[in-house]
Amino acid sequence: MSADTSVGVGAETGGAEGGTPGPSAPLALDREKLFAARLHAVKVRPYLATALFALHVVESRRVPTMAVDRHWRCYVSPHFVARTPVEELAGVWVHEVAHLLRDHHGRGDRVAKQRGLTGAGDRLRMNIAADCEINDDVYGDGLAQPEGAVLPKLLGLSEGELMEDYLRQFRLGPWLDDMAAWLDCGSGADGLEREWDLGPDGAHGLSEQEQDEVRFRVAQGITGRPGDAPKGWRRWAEEVFHPPQPWRELLGAALRSAASGSGGGTDHTYGRPSRRSVALPGIVLPSLRRTPPRVAVVIDTSGSVSDTELGSALLEVTAISRAVGGRSDLVTVLSCDAAARIVDPLCTAEGIPLLGGGGTDLRTGFAAALRTRPDVVVVLTDGQTPWPEARPYCRTVVGLFPRPRTGSSYENDPDYRPDRPPDWARVVEIG
Amino acid sequence: MATFAPSVPALRPLAPSASQLDVAADLLALLRDTRTEPRPDDRLEALTLAVAADLPVLLWGEPGIGKTSALTQLADSLELPLTTVIASVHEPSDFSGLPIVGDDPAQQGVPLAPPDWAVRLVREGRGLLFLDELSTATPAVQAALLRLVLERRIGSLQLPPGVRIVAAANPRSSAADGWELSAPLANRFVHLQWTHDHEVVVRGLGGTWPRATLPRLDPQRLPDAVDRARRAVCGLLDVRPALVHRLPGSETRRGGPWPSPRSWDMTVCLIAFATAAGSSRDVLSLLVRGTVGDGPGLELLAWLDRMDLPDPEELLADPENAELPERGDRRQATLEGVVEAVKARPSKERWDAAWALLVRALETGAPDLVVVPATTLAALRQEEWDVPDAIERLAGAVSVSRRADRSVARAVTAGR
Repeated sequence: MSADTSVGVGAETGGAEGGTPGPSAPLALDREKLFAARLHAVKVRPYLATALFALHVVESRRVPTMAVDRHWRCYVSPHFVARTPVEELAGVWVHEVAHLLRDHHGRGDRVAKQRGLTGAGDRLRMNIAADCEINDDVYGDGLAQPEGAVLPKLLGLSEGELMEDYLRQFRLGPWLDDMAAWLDCGSGADGLEREWDLGPDGAHGLSEQEQDEVRFRVAQGITGRPGDAPKGWRRWAEEVFHPPQPWRELLGAALRSAASGSGGGTDHTYGRPSRRSVALPGIVLPSLRRTPPRVAVVIDTSGSVSDTELGSALLEVTAISRAVGGRSDLVTVLSCDAAARIVDPLCTAEGIPLLGGGGTDLRTGFAAALRTRPDVVVVLTDGQTPWPEARPYCRTVVGLFPRPRTGSSYENDPDYRPDRPPDWARVVEIG
Repeated sequence: MATFAPSVPALRPLAPSASQLDVAADLLALLRDTRTEPRPDDRLEALTLAVAADLPVLLWGEPGIGKTSALTQLADSLELPLTTVIASVHEPSDFSGLPIVGDDPAQQGVPLAPPDWAVRLVREGRGLLFLDELSTATPAVQAALLRLVLERRIGSLQLPPGVRIVAAANPRSSAADGWELSAPLANRFVHLQWTHDHEVVVRGLGGTWPRATLPRLDPQRLPDAVDRARRAVCGLLDVRPALVHRLPGSETRRGGPWPSPRSWDMTVCLIAFATAAGSSRDVLSLLVRGTVGDGPGLELLAWLDRMDLPDPEELLADPENAELPERGDRRQATLEGVVEAVKARPSKERWDAAWALLVRALETGAPDLVVVPATTLAALRQEEWDVPDAIERLAGAVSVSRRADRSVARAVTAGR
């Protein structure tokens, strides 16, 4: 192609030019520079192309830098574009689209609701926490880190955590004034409407379902070629449509359904006629019968499970089984290891008889549990154990403590799989 | 706030001797005097379409968030009488039939008598049956109800085809009892999540409830709708055979929608209904994801997206008046489709037309979208083809591209 460039070459090193024109001089948005930066971002992060291209650019003089709203519009200050080098602008593009892909506004709203955070200061903290979540691994590898980007390191925090976790770990303070080049990422980053937002009725917004479709395509691109994407993006792609569920509630649901399914719990029965039958001659009515389930809890204490984790899971199990009608004398706890350190004090406090087991083989634990004739067996384990080959006569719920993946053989051997619990057990991942 | 002020009905003058109950009745009348305002409601529209398509719907939602009022509105709009059955206050025999011992059970057997509401439904021949609070019923009642939903039988009565069934359940995590949908049962429902909309609730409590305008099927569009639905689902499953049948694997997805030939069949049906009604993409998305699950549903929507892009051949035929999509990612996909079409059947005319299209794209939208298709198109040039004049007008894209390349080079060097 023979065409030559004649525009905008000189402005490329804009950062070196220093001072920005005063607000009185209307500066046109250098679209070419802005889009060259987006192209840069697409070239070095091809899996983000769909999302980057789906953003609708809105020129705005009220935005300090670049900002996004929850409808996937990107507000751009012409002055910011003029004074920022292209490679840094590319980093800002990726940063802003990351806020939207990771649903920081929705998560911010949920956190605000849960923790009762109402002030503007809290929203500012959310923006900072969200920035930390993004910035720790999106830059490098062909993408320049924009000046003034907030890193967890600056706040004295560790890397690789989520916005919700960072939010707990710092307060606003005088350190904020030192960060002169603060990036206000707009309502797309923290959920707080800005004065420049076009709102839900403005043009070129993406509906929630459209946003989901863009997220899905980006996630597909990442999971399709996971080697190319940094860890943070891979984790995002894995969890975006199937976030880890609250194990407490899942364990409760699994236990309740197991307890009421096989003869235990409350149910109608024709075994005994209803008292209503007396008033309705000739009609057979069932009666409501309550049979509290017997629950046996087997604890594998051999694994690398922390005392607090195991203790909270065990407390949860006994609380749930009591809620479904199991009286405390119907709950049996067995430890499948000599180290009965958690189980002992807990069970003494809760009045649960402790039978004790032997070895780290869960099969003996199962056998001991089944001797108590339970309606449900609950197993708390990290899964590194042989499982019984035959299906036990009663329902089985497994609370599985996931083994930490870092530094283990997972990284070196992609084909390595630990023994999964058998199909007949309901498995809930804990923690 | 001024917008919340309800119109106050004229109070009849109260006699001094009016009883306290009369005063209370007046107060209640004031409280009940609410207005409605039109407001689009995607979930209600999705529910209406699924009910119209005669597929069993399961509404998942916490108690007290307006499922019943939504059903009332739906029944009004479909002009069906609404029968609400609160499952948790019934016994299994109310759904499977009450066994009645006659004179000679050994000879005549024991008939199962249906409850009165079922008899009324059958006599009427049509109606909307709403089975509320499925999750708080005992397992025996749930078992009896599922037979009602799936086989449409109550005792010895067969429900007529004019009866539509909607059920509601609490989310599994908050269910008080052991409500658990097995995978085969979950596969037969269209799952819709029902949540409350903060704004709607606040406005409603202030006296103005929303009134959704419900979709109307357009008789003109029926054949096209069926064609589109079949093309979409078959096209996707043709290239992604793994999506045809996939049981839910993890505990988190248990009891939810999953793909199987049955649920794909329901999906074809729902796409056709949504197309015939001219529903938005959001409504379609709720329906599709509620039938085959998130992953396969989103893949299907992406497939539909691609189907809905302008046809490359039509664009190449008339590049001057081509209508390109506004949204950047769709525009880029369209341009890439055009270049692919030229690559599939190269000729000088098609190549020139593609350049004209790229120029048009550059003049009406962001320049960076044009760069990759232009590079691919340039590579398709054959020796005897002259460079068209249109290429001169692509200078903007070229300079954007060069600038980006230099910037990448700088960033890479700086990173070292």
